[in-house]
Amino acid sequence: MKKNYLLITALLMWSLAPFLWQVYTSFSTPEALINPLLKVGNRWTLENYIQVINSEPPFWRYLINSTIVGINATLITLILAIPSAYAINKVKNKIAQSLKVLLLLASLFPYVLLFLSLLEIARKFNLGNSLITLSIPYAALSLPLAILLLSSAFKDLPKDLEEAAIIEGIGMFQRIRWILIPLIAPATASTGIIVFLFTWNEYPIALTWISNIDLITLPVAIARIAGSSVYSIPYGAFAAATVLGAIPLMLIVLLFQKQIISGLTQGAIKG
Amino acid sequence: MIVKNMRRNIYIFIVIISILSTGFVRSLNLKSPEIINILMPAPFAESTENLVETFNKENQGKVKIKITKGPRETESVSDLAISSLLLGNSPFDILLIDVTWLPKYAAANWLTPLDELIKREDWDSLATGAKLGNTYKEKIYRWPFTADMGLLYWRKDLMKTPPKTPAELIAISKKLKENHSVKYGYVWQGRQYEGLSCVFLEVINGFGGNWLSESNDVQLTSKEALNAAKWLRELITSGASPASVTNFSENEALQIFQAGDAAFMRNWPYAWAELQKEESSIKGKVGVTTMVSEKNVQPTSTLGSWGFSILKQSKHKELAYEVINYLTSKDAQKELYLQYGYTPTMQQIYKDNDKELINSANILNELSNALSIAKPRPETPLYAQISDVLQRQLSSILTTDKPIHEALEIANDKTKIILKSAGNI
Amino acid sequence: MIYALLILPALVLIFIVFGFPIIRYFWLSIHASSVLTGLTATPNYGANWIRLLNDDRFWLDTIQTIRFTMCSVLIEIVLAIVFALILNQNFRGRGLVRSLSILPWALPTTIMALGWRWIFNTPYGPIERIVSIFSTNSINILSNPNIAWIATVFADIWKTTPFITLIILAGLQTIPTDLYEAFKLESGDKLKSFFNITLPLLQPYLIISIIFRLAQAFGVFDLIQVLTLGGPAGSTESIGLYAYLNAMRFLDFGYSATIIFFSFILLSLFCILAWLLINKIRDKYQRNML
Repeated sequence: MKKNYLLITALLMWSLAPFLWQVYTSFSTPEALINPLLKVGNRWTLENYIQVINSEPPFWRYLINSTIVGINATLITLILAIPSAYAINKVKNKIAQSLKVLLLLASLFPYVLLFLSLLEIARKFNLGNSLITLSIPYAALSLPLAILLLSSAFKDLPKDLEEAAIIEGIGMFQRIRWILIPLIAPATASTGIIVFLFTWNEYPIALTWISNIDLITLPVAIARIAGSSVYSIPYGAFAAATVLGAIPLMLIVLLFQKQIISGLTQGAIKG
Repeated sequence: MIVKNMRRNIYIFIVIISILSTGFVRSLNLKSPEIINILMPAPFAESTENLVETFNKENQGKVKIKITKGPRETESVSDLAISSLLLGNSPFDILLIDVTWLPKYAAANWLTPLDELIKREDWDSLATGAKLGNTYKEKIYRWPFTADMGLLYWRKDLMKTPPKTPAELIAISKKLKENHSVKYGYVWQGRQYEGLSCVFLEVINGFGGNWLSESNDVQLTSKEALNAAKWLRELITSGASPASVTNFSENEALQIFQAGDAAFMRNWPYAWAELQKEESSIKGKVGVTTMVSEKNVQPTSTLGSWGFSILKQSKHKELAYEVINYLTSKDAQKELYLQYGYTPTMQQIYKDNDKELINSANILNELSNALSIAKPRPETPLYAQISDVLQRQLSSILTTDKPIHEALEIANDKTKIILKSAGNI
Repeated sequence: MIYALLILPALVLIFIVFGFPIIRYFWLSIHASSVLTGLTATPNYGANWIRLLNDDRFWLDTIQTIRFTMCSVLIEIVLAIVFALILNQNFRGRGLVRSLSILPWALPTTIMALGWRWIFNTPYGPIERIVSIFSTNSINILSNPNIAWIATVFADIWKTTPFITLIILAGLQTIPTDLYEAFKLESGDKLKSFFNITLPLLQPYLIISIIFRLAQAFGVFDLIQVLTLGGPAGSTESIGLYAYLNAMRFLDFGYSATIIFFSFILLSLFCILAWLLINKIRDKYQRNML
């Protein structure tokens, strides 16, 4: 059993050490970073955080931008995915199967390669520099996985429930709205969280669609900091930015651990 | 039911909030005095801070210069500008652009031609070299801010006069190395990156050749190109330059030269200021001249310069031009030269014999010389790609036994293919 | 019919984002659409393709991308199996450990890429510091072309292993425990039971994760762009980054599209090859078992 705990500790070290190093860096003075054996007096500082929070535009702006895009994209995805997932179980098996294979291929696809086409679309229809329009490609990119996850949830529902409703004479939309949606709420939640995580972290599309500094999302803002200098980088402040940027995600992961895991594993089992 | 409705309301609320907050962010951009927004790489944004502050004080309520401090790395600045231009709605009025970007930006139709705004006498006031690199297809798109030229630094304590020809450079380097006066002869930029293209441009022109002709014909298989590449390899094989030079950029070369370990160095004007610092072991022992060239061939200095361009979509073009005039005025140039060593672009400054300028460790004459023979790199929108091709082949010439003519032929062919695939007929 | 209507909006959107680009890329690849043509497409009769075949930089990037993909996927799979086995055990605080271990996957790539840049920093990063205890020479992790790519693989492994771990964990949970009990009675070797029961039953999960990771690693972009920007001397540049640079930096959409379209083909071949290889190994394995 002891060996076991050793392994668990090793696993945790592996997962957390790089991040803890960032936390350590973010509280260190520049002198302490160069000379870690410095005396206690000027070892620790909050200066890095103050600097990040007071930067222009303020750091929380990026967090808000990412949140707006994330919520919009998640809502659009779910609104489109739920009816599709319901319907895909109702159409002929052959069609459903081939649709599912296509959706699976799409969800495996390295979407980075789509950036050029999406950029062209943004140019053509003037969709750039808006958080609302940015949600549309995000929703489209998340749809395949979302439909797959939700359709397996619909499939698992007992058939007689809906049949009973049909006999009662309840229309299809009423059935979906009042019977099925409440029943698949857990699956919807985990799908939604996974979509939200994806959009929150997405980089290449945000990079090409948004150029207005007031509207950029968190990953782009961080990357822009990285590109800001090749010679001397104020690593303390950067570390503070990464820590602040990571906090919301940590909260999400800790709060919704069950949903994330069940969502992903369900996808794996059914997919 | 009530609970359901409430939940729906929350959704609607979220959507409304998100729409409102995007609108709010947009509306922040509307403010009263006319704002001229300039995108600059971080170092320039820092050095012009005082000038901008003075301007904004003098023109309070009317015009305000807003500097957007771009990234420090020059290519990242370009990325930032391009992504905003590609999408339309760029927030900038003026861009401070590098000489190699101009053809690309102009061809993309992003820049305003300045011909009508520039006064004849203003244009004539520019030093010859400063006039270059501002035009594309016979229209002026850029007003120069500071010039940058390739220079040959040499050690006054080791020789009386600097070498004039490529052969002399090798001979002196070898001699000085043999009698142990220095560890290395000539240090330059041999790493596979843009600096290598800059070095090669000076050498190929010094041998009387050309990289691209005026009509964009590739001329890398000419006899002169071959001689130039041969000479670069000979620098290494003869021991005139250390083999490690193939991994040098500007900083590595400067480090070695500054430590007193080399007799010659190719570098930009910024190195002069570094060499004047107290900790420099060769302070006062350094001379500056232009790159060597064959007899009867004029030497060439690669032009690297920054200048202001006005974007086509800017709503205050005339005002923007006034701002440019202010930032490149004689006083501004003097101040920037004194404080940061920025090479002036105005001819008069070199002629004035201004005491203040001369007394500060003076290389104005040498800069003026170099500027008069400065040459921009090929002025094509595809410059970045063809430079990459050349760098790769040059690097293989310097680091392997690949036959030189073969490498140059490859570079030649590939450059042609690139020009063709991008639509150059 | 009504069902078709329910699916249609989603399908249309999916087609615009996934289907249309592929057609568009092919079309663009036989056109010049660059700054020289004012970004409007004019036919150039295969000149892009000739250029692609002659482009050293593209082929070096391809080799680098394949090298990166193979190394990271292989190591990730092995690590993920180990992690999943650890996390599948019963111990106190398992939920917390699980959520902490998926953290690397949940953080935005760019955030940690910036972090890695500091960790790999010479001379102040922790790795160089540890090295400096044993040797006076620093490794110059991010400025040595032979080492920088390993750093990118390392960062990628750290980031994506948790994801595969979860999928494999799901697989482990489907294996009935009585199978192990039965096996224990027969021979009782733990290692043998892993190779005879666990691995074969995990197969579908392994296959899906391998294919998924192959595709994703092949398209690596954010990590490289932030960590090394393709340097030093282009040694870490991936196909995705090169395509991006061609479009956004060189303003040559035609050539960028050619690169992307070609990498589609390459990726499909790659995945089919992996699929065949996995099947072959599986056949052999099963024959050995019998």
